[in-house]
Amino acid sequence: MNEVALLRSLLAIGAILFATGVIGLLTRRNLIVMFLSAELSLQGIAVSLVAWSRYHNNFGGQMLVIFIIAVAACEAAIALALFVKLFHDRGTLDVVAWQTLREENLPPHIDIEVPEPEAREEKWPELTPAGREPAPNLQQQRHRARV
Amino acid sequence: MSDMPITLEAWLTQNAPRVLSYPVATLLVGVGLWLVLPRGRRGGRAVGAVLLLVGLGMLAARLPMLGDWKYETVLWLLGGITVVSGIGTISMRSPVYCALWFALALLGTGALFMFVGAQFLGIATVVVYAGAIVVTFLFVLMLAQPEGQDFYDRLSWEPLLSALTGAVMILLLSLALESSLGGTAAAELAAKSPTPQALEKGILAPQHVASIGGVLFSKYLIAVQVAGVLLLVALVGASAIVVYQRNPAAGSADAGQGGRS
Repeated sequence: MNEVALLRSLLAIGAILFATGVIGLLTRRNLIVMFLSAELSLQGIAVSLVAWSRYHNNFGGQMLVIFIIAVAACEAAIALALFVKLFHDRGTLDVVAWQTLREENLPPHIDIEVPEPEAREEKWPELTPAGREPAPNLQQQRHRARV
Repeated sequence: MSDMPITLEAWLTQNAPRVLSYPVATLLVGVGLWLVLPRGRRGGRAVGAVLLLVGLGMLAARLPMLGDWKYETVLWLLGGITVVSGIGTISMRSPVYCALWFALALLGTGALFMFVGAQFLGIATVVVYAGAIVVTFLFVLMLAQPEGQDFYDRLSWEPLLSALTGAVMILLLSLALESSLGGTAAAELAAKSPTPQALEKGILAPQHVASIGGVLFSKYLIAVQVAGVLLLVALVGASAIVVYQRNPAAGSADAGQGGRS
């Protein structure tokens, strides 16, 4: 196998993954999606490190990826605890809810047009009625309601 | 001359005709990303996906061949899955779909790791990331946003500008790769690249986990200890963040900030 071509292909894949993660972190407004994008950038770096490890025939790159995984696990634990706390505070995962944290004297961000919820096409299958309709079991309904 | 590091500008003036497809590919990727990102209105996502595929295909066409069509097929299949699911991660409206596409991207990178002979890392990525981190994310999503997407998932900050920024970043990285690993530089690097026999004694040794463990617990022993301490501190910190309750009597100073509703 051509090692230089393999290195270059993997570095290209890693670069595209990293850029994708950066775009996601910059554009998305949901806290959790932003965090997922940051993790995507980390994956791009990991692919590059493993490619270099292969080219240099050396375990150093793979060791770094092991530590990246360990740090990502710590990061995920802390971030999720923070998200739960923040969600309890404001009741939303939108980053705009914490816009008071930025510099002073900036005009507040207000959504000019809120997009309409997308109409979902829920088509449930319809069965042809067959047999007689069973009498309602009042006792069972009351029991269910209490549970 | 070949020992002198040449600047990107000088290299560009020499090789301008060969790299003419890069700006076109960048434009296609940028516009395609803008179309697939949430923009607050419907439509254009299929067009954006087609533009993205064409642009990424143009970028991929510049990459050299591995020399064996079987390796080639597997690499492009895995790389394609990884990149497409990475783009799916940032372009889906519903956060649950984002998490699922991210899990697919992780499976793709895990498979890529295995492809280049890092089996332990492939398994570790799938187990730790896809098995633990993504599942915890899904737990929090179900806790916080059980109804699926909200209006802010259908909006983005400056989608056109950020998509173009990302595309230019991809362009610059590809040009750097082309200038440092392509053309005449490739021949020099190929002479220095490891032979299959050397790889068989090095990172592709049959006892892969044993050799990883040997390096990890000798050369990187202190780093392993530090990582262990870091994991412990993160565990304690995460528990403390969730458990800690603001004292209502002492928290009167925070009342003006409208903290807890």
